[in-house]
Amino acid sequence: MIQAIDLVKRYNGTTAVHQLNLNIQPGDIFCLLGANGAGKTTTINIFLNFVQPTEGKALINGMNVMQDGLKTKQYLAYIPENLMLYPNLTGLENLNYFSGLAGKKYETGELEMFLLEAGLQEEAHRRRVAAYSKGMRQKVGIAIALAKQAKALLLDEPTSGLDPKASNEFAALLQKLRQQGVATLMATHDLFRAKESGTHIGIMKDGKLLQTLTTEEINHTDLEKLYLQHMN
Amino acid sequence: MIRRIATKEFTEILREGRFQVAAIITIALLLISVVISRSYYVAVNEQHAQARQVERALWLNQEAKNPHSAAHYGTYAFKPKYLLALLDPGVDKYTGISIYLEAHRRNEAQYMAAQDQTGLARFGDLTPDFILLFIIPLLIVLMGFNAFTREREQGTLALLKSQGVLPSNLAFGKWLGSYLAIVLLVVPVFIISAILLALVKDFGPFNIGALLLLLLVYLVYYAIFTGLTLTVSAGSKNSGVALVTMLAVWMVSVLGMPKVASNLADALYPYPTRQAFEAGVNDDKKRGLNGHEPWSEEAKALEKAVLVEYKVDSVQQLPFNFDGYLMQKGEEHDAEIYYKHYALLRQQFENQTNVYRLSAILSPFLPTRFLSMGIARSDYQTHWHFADAAEKYRVSMMDKLNMTFAKSTTYSAEARNWKADPSLWKQIPPFEYEPPTYATLLQQQTSNLLILLGWLGLSFLGLIYAAKKV
Repeated sequence: MIQAIDLVKRYNGTTAVHQLNLNIQPGDIFCLLGANGAGKTTTINIFLNFVQPTEGKALINGMNVMQDGLKTKQYLAYIPENLMLYPNLTGLENLNYFSGLAGKKYETGELEMFLLEAGLQEEAHRRRVAAYSKGMRQKVGIAIALAKQAKALLLDEPTSGLDPKASNEFAALLQKLRQQGVATLMATHDLFRAKESGTHIGIMKDGKLLQTLTTEEINHTDLEKLYLQHMN
Repeated sequence: MIRRIATKEFTEILREGRFQVAAIITIALLLISVVISRSYYVAVNEQHAQARQVERALWLNQEAKNPHSAAHYGTYAFKPKYLLALLDPGVDKYTGISIYLEAHRRNEAQYMAAQDQTGLARFGDLTPDFILLFIIPLLIVLMGFNAFTREREQGTLALLKSQGVLPSNLAFGKWLGSYLAIVLLVVPVFIISAILLALVKDFGPFNIGALLLLLLVYLVYYAIFTGLTLTVSAGSKNSGVALVTMLAVWMVSVLGMPKVASNLADALYPYPTRQAFEAGVNDDKKRGLNGHEPWSEEAKALEKAVLVEYKVDSVQQLPFNFDGYLMQKGEEHDAEIYYKHYALLRQQFENQTNVYRLSAILSPFLPTRFLSMGIARSDYQTHWHFADAAEKYRVSMMDKLNMTFAKSTTYSAEARNWKADPSLWKQIPPFEYEPPTYATLLQQQTSNLLILLGWLGLSFLGLIYAAKKV
């Protein structure tokens, strides 16, 4: 569902992504671990067609994102690290707008269900986003992704800034989506979360994917050791 | 999709303090200006009606006298005020309100409002056209400059783009939303203005069609400005750049280009100075027939020709008074000279108008300005039309007066003392002016209309192009 073939991205001289190959199947949650500047966000941005790869191909549902940029976006949902919404609109209005942009039509009741499912308490639905905390905005972002009913999920450190409870609820949601056959690519710093909710883990450094493993192969302590080994 | 985006943009704009404050100020200014203009026009109109009546009464109450004396006494042609000139006074302030109609001379319109004002009037008047033409485009700029850049700056752009929205849909959605906010602001003001205008008494028939046409022209103008603003917003790196760029565009379009156009028109087709013009007229007059100089060469030649035509030996034998006939021929000669010289002026005016028409390509402000004045009947075209009508009236009035004298008497020294019955004054109808029809107006303004629509198309194309790069 999410596929990278020999993906290279160079910014005048520096290589952000080097020879990246990924193949994330429906039901997979691929956690990309790595320090800041490892190329995780660039990889996600290539899949979003925000950044053009220098070489190689990025495919969503078998379609090249460079050629069918708009079409591939039907299949994917994206939650950035710091999700921003329109401050003068309510959470519900934001959700309605963004899901509308994706071509989905929902009744207000259905939209509220998505917000509840994403963990946003009901009294916040009709308040303007200007008064929301970061975590609340992130939940609206999750609701937007849920409403889109995407087959591929691109997450760029989605839980940073969420409190542990919200983070836990998010992990549960990811599992639910996984069971529905959604393929997920998640960039994260959170080794614990990666081990808990991921199916696969990739360790990235200086644009290179150094090692890929399944979460079943490794326990948390070993993962941390392995990670630090690669980083040093 | 466009509707959904437009609804969201519209909602956002309405909830923003920026729009609320700007809208309240603009609506208040517009309404105040309409009310001020209205009371000014009502006062002027009253004076106008009064002056008309007084002048007509003065004319009718002349005692028995020689008709040519009455011709010298003269009367005034008053330029009617039109209702929509209340919204756009155009050049009314500078063109004068009445023309003195007398024997031998074609006079310019006089008593322009600008003459009555102090130097402070240079600071500008608060008239609705100022707000409609200058301030509302500025408001559009201030409201729309960050329509696209804001998405980038507040961080919503990434999420927006990840939803897979077509750039042209996004562009037109944003355009429609911003435009609706402007429409919401302008249309009620026009409705209130229409009510205020309709309530003005004795202002002649109120033409709702013309008001709607005026509204339509302004709505197209605002559509263009909204398009340009969003184009710049989509093409700019950040809001600051977009704002500065758009303010520059605003200044050049509404302040710079009109100045360029008028300087260009003046440089290419200058009007003669008043001195040169009058000298030319006087030169020609000297060379021709003068009704008051029966001994001149030209008068003698005319006498000969008339005698031959009527197959008589002396002017005494003519069936009419040659004195009066000569007077009328002199008048006709003068009228021709005026006609010739005014035709030259008019040619220059037409040339300048053509320069203006072409220069309308430079800025959407220009075609709007011309259309607005034209529809309000406060432009130079209407003024020329009025001056021509007054001259036509003067010529026929002189003809009636001189020929009555010629036909009622025969050539003799005593005839000069002949007095026409005061009933003659009534036989000269009061001056009634009919402005050109709206069909003529539309014909005159076709190029402006087309250029305005061209600008609209251009702004849309620019918007589509710029939105693709966001």
